[in-house]
Amino acid sequence: MREIIEKAQAKGAGQCEVFYFSSLNTEVEYEASKLKNVANNEQTGYALRLIKDGRLGFATTTKAGGLDRLVDDALATAASGDTVDYGFAPRSDVREVPTIDPSVTELSIEDMMKRSEDAIAKVLDYESEINASSGTNRKQQTVSVCTSEGFEGTQERTLYQFYITGSLIEGDNMLDCGSVYSGTAMDDGGDALTDKTIEDIRNGRTNVSVSTGPTTVILTPRAVSDVLLTLIYGVNGSMVDRKVSPLTGRIGETIFDERISLFDDGSMETGYSSALFDDEGVPMQRTPIIENGVLRSFLTDLRTGTRLDMPLTGNGLKLKRLVQTKELGQMPSPEVTNWRMAGGEKPFAELLSEVGDGVMVDSVMGIMMGNLVAGDFSGNVEYGLKVEDGEIKGRVKDTMIAGNVYKLFKDDLVALSKEVVRTGLMGFIGSHEYPYVVLSDVSISSKS
Amino acid sequence: MKDRIEQVLKKFASQVDYLEVHLEETEESRVTFTGPQLTDLGKKVDFGGNVRALNKGGWGFASFNSVDRIDEFAQYAIDQAVLTGKDKSQLAPVEPVVADVGLDLKSDPREVSLEKKVETMRAYNDRVLGAHELIASSSTRCYDRYHQRWFGSSEGAMVYQERVDVGGMVAAMAAKDGDTQTHWVPFGSSDDFGVAYGHEDAIDEACRLAVEKLDVPKVKGGQYTVVLDPRLAGVFVHEAFGHLSEGDNVYEDKNLQKVMVLGREFGQPFLNIYDTGRDKGLRGYLVYDDEGVPTEKTYLIEEGKLVGRLHSRETAGKMGERATGNARNIDYRYPPVCRMRNTVIQPGDSSFDDMVAGTKLGVYAIMASGGQTNGEMFTFTAGNAYMIRDGKLAEMVRDVTLTGNVFQTLKDIDMIGDDLGIHDGPGGCGKAGQFPLPVSDGSPHVRIQNVVIGGE
Repeated sequence: MREIIEKAQAKGAGQCEVFYFSSLNTEVEYEASKLKNVANNEQTGYALRLIKDGRLGFATTTKAGGLDRLVDDALATAASGDTVDYGFAPRSDVREVPTIDPSVTELSIEDMMKRSEDAIAKVLDYESEINASSGTNRKQQTVSVCTSEGFEGTQERTLYQFYITGSLIEGDNMLDCGSVYSGTAMDDGGDALTDKTIEDIRNGRTNVSVSTGPTTVILTPRAVSDVLLTLIYGVNGSMVDRKVSPLTGRIGETIFDERISLFDDGSMETGYSSALFDDEGVPMQRTPIIENGVLRSFLTDLRTGTRLDMPLTGNGLKLKRLVQTKELGQMPSPEVTNWRMAGGEKPFAELLSEVGDGVMVDSVMGIMMGNLVAGDFSGNVEYGLKVEDGEIKGRVKDTMIAGNVYKLFKDDLVALSKEVVRTGLMGFIGSHEYPYVVLSDVSISSKS
Repeated sequence: MKDRIEQVLKKFASQVDYLEVHLEETEESRVTFTGPQLTDLGKKVDFGGNVRALNKGGWGFASFNSVDRIDEFAQYAIDQAVLTGKDKSQLAPVEPVVADVGLDLKSDPREVSLEKKVETMRAYNDRVLGAHELIASSSTRCYDRYHQRWFGSSEGAMVYQERVDVGGMVAAMAAKDGDTQTHWVPFGSSDDFGVAYGHEDAIDEACRLAVEKLDVPKVKGGQYTVVLDPRLAGVFVHEAFGHLSEGDNVYEDKNLQKVMVLGREFGQPFLNIYDTGRDKGLRGYLVYDDEGVPTEKTYLIEEGKLVGRLHSRETAGKMGERATGNARNIDYRYPPVCRMRNTVIQPGDSSFDDMVAGTKLGVYAIMASGGQTNGEMFTFTAGNAYMIRDGKLAEMVRDVTLTGNVFQTLKDIDMIGDDLGIHDGPGGCGKAGQFPLPVSDGSPHVRIQNVVIGGE
């Protein structure tokens, strides 16, 4: 990697940063209860950022022997590039976070098959008409960052993912439920995820109607992560720098109910996004975002941290938009690592009985397309249950939920559950921990 | 490249029922302004491949960047297919194609200098930032990609395709009192960098709408008659019916097969929906799919009835239907799965004026910021919208996200316009972790009864 920097500097570059990425991924997929596919994915490549005559250049390659072209491409982009007001990462001591787990490296394909087979058997044992799918994925990843300013780091990570889904079609009624786990180490078995999937299917088999209007809503931990897509934009240093985040200039202000505390934790044990340093060589850390309702920090990368004159939080990650996989060709930008929200006083069961009537929302579809930066969300309640007298009555369908997170989490918070549940979203990076969140007067619209 | 593929096929094909090898090289350039800053000016070279093996109905797949180790990956894919397969392999028969598909471009993005691309986007970006005092920020980007794909199979297919993909978007963000509203101008093409030029008027309009939306009330949630413009109706057909038509949803699920039986009535007799790979210039244009199958115009709904599906060779083979050329992957890292190309509601004979005039209380929803589906239910989100009151367009409303149910909403389409519009943007379709796949969609104006819209 030093050699690439030397090549670039010999051609006139000033500061340089080389990012190297390699990964080996093995995935076992079961579809319709049968082993469908075993896949192996090998990736390797380099990204080069450099500053020449005060201007930024950026190029990437996955082609063996393509390093001269890489340097030339980066220099060519620098010729038209923007003036740059930040430098690449200096030497630093990175704290140890265990991100290699032998339970993943030693996992055999037969072990992976057995996990999915056991989960599917359990689902089919509940109801043989279910179309069950499952997959187990193990990954070994190496990321190295080397800068002309003295940072040099290599980290290896193991990553593990497991999912189980069940699709039950009865007449024209389609019900899809599923659970996913992701982390740097294996979980202690897929049993809890499978039980949750079966419970969701059981509760969702009966459809009930719900009326349009303000409604008490219980967001499950998974739905909390859907709704907080709004806040992901709000605390993004780039949105703040552009003054389009409603949180711009509001550090120290109370933005949420005082019972809410939220952390971005790049050092979370076994967290899927936990690492020693981010994709720019900045140490990752646990950053308080909201403490007792007060806004404490935004998430920054080198560019936005410098521009905002704020501490670097180690959130400069190269992720592909929407699917949020690591993407060599992506410029680093402030991204969430693992989010953890503190729980409340009462256990969930107690909250449920206190709620009386309402809707428990577990997943919201289409939320990505809304005006998230303003805090507004609107989507179809993909999986939600009607609650009457504290009892689950059945599934609500053809129903929309809408609201604004900065209003609901400030003025309409009823309670947080004592339990915090680790939740992974299919297709989204990170391991997140949230309580159940009870809100009053949430707008629900349903087919009449 | 072809020699390398042939060597692998020759060496390994006898071990499994079916073997295919893909190699791919992509060159990309990108220009992104975020506010006044040129935050990403980048070039990318991406080279890799995959080997996919089928044995007794089980697949093994290996993708790689280290192309010099292709034999090792081929053996891995084969070993996994042998481990996986316990049934029988069923691929719909196709004539193995040997073909080279070159470029036929109106304007080649590779011949446009990086400086020119930067200056074009900079001019748009400056235009946005100077449009109005309430415009707080902008997002202006364009990209172009040149793909070369080689595909060979143990059945004798050998297809080399060159493809170009161009896209971009200019977005204006207005902010006031903690509220932010965005509007945007998308563009895309598979044969013309010229689509990046000439958006000045549309950008001025987008800035005006972003500012106007700051003072507009949110739509009141409830059930409405809606009129969709061609862009939003295109997203609607993609989400409402395109995805459910993909053969991989259906082929292993006997309960879904009962629901999606050919001949079932999904809409009124004037509803016709097709998906085609044959509209040159659109991002969904494709001569051969990623299994080397020629694409076609595939009707999904004719006169309101289900008549077809979007198939890969395997889903077609298992259902005893025809391969339609819909097996696609976003790149060599993934196996091809059933995907759309250009999905269209065929024009009818209603006029937009009649749709509005015949609506007592409704919403006219324009532009799309996207959509999502889980099979039965789907959502799609408008860029801007107006109430319809007593047969006339009335006040503007915002935050219009609509939802529907495939078994009801298509039947509730009661008017289809005569004004087909097909538009491309920079994004694409996401499925099975593969995003963004270049697809197109189109429709005339349509009117739909009883659509639920979320709101306060």
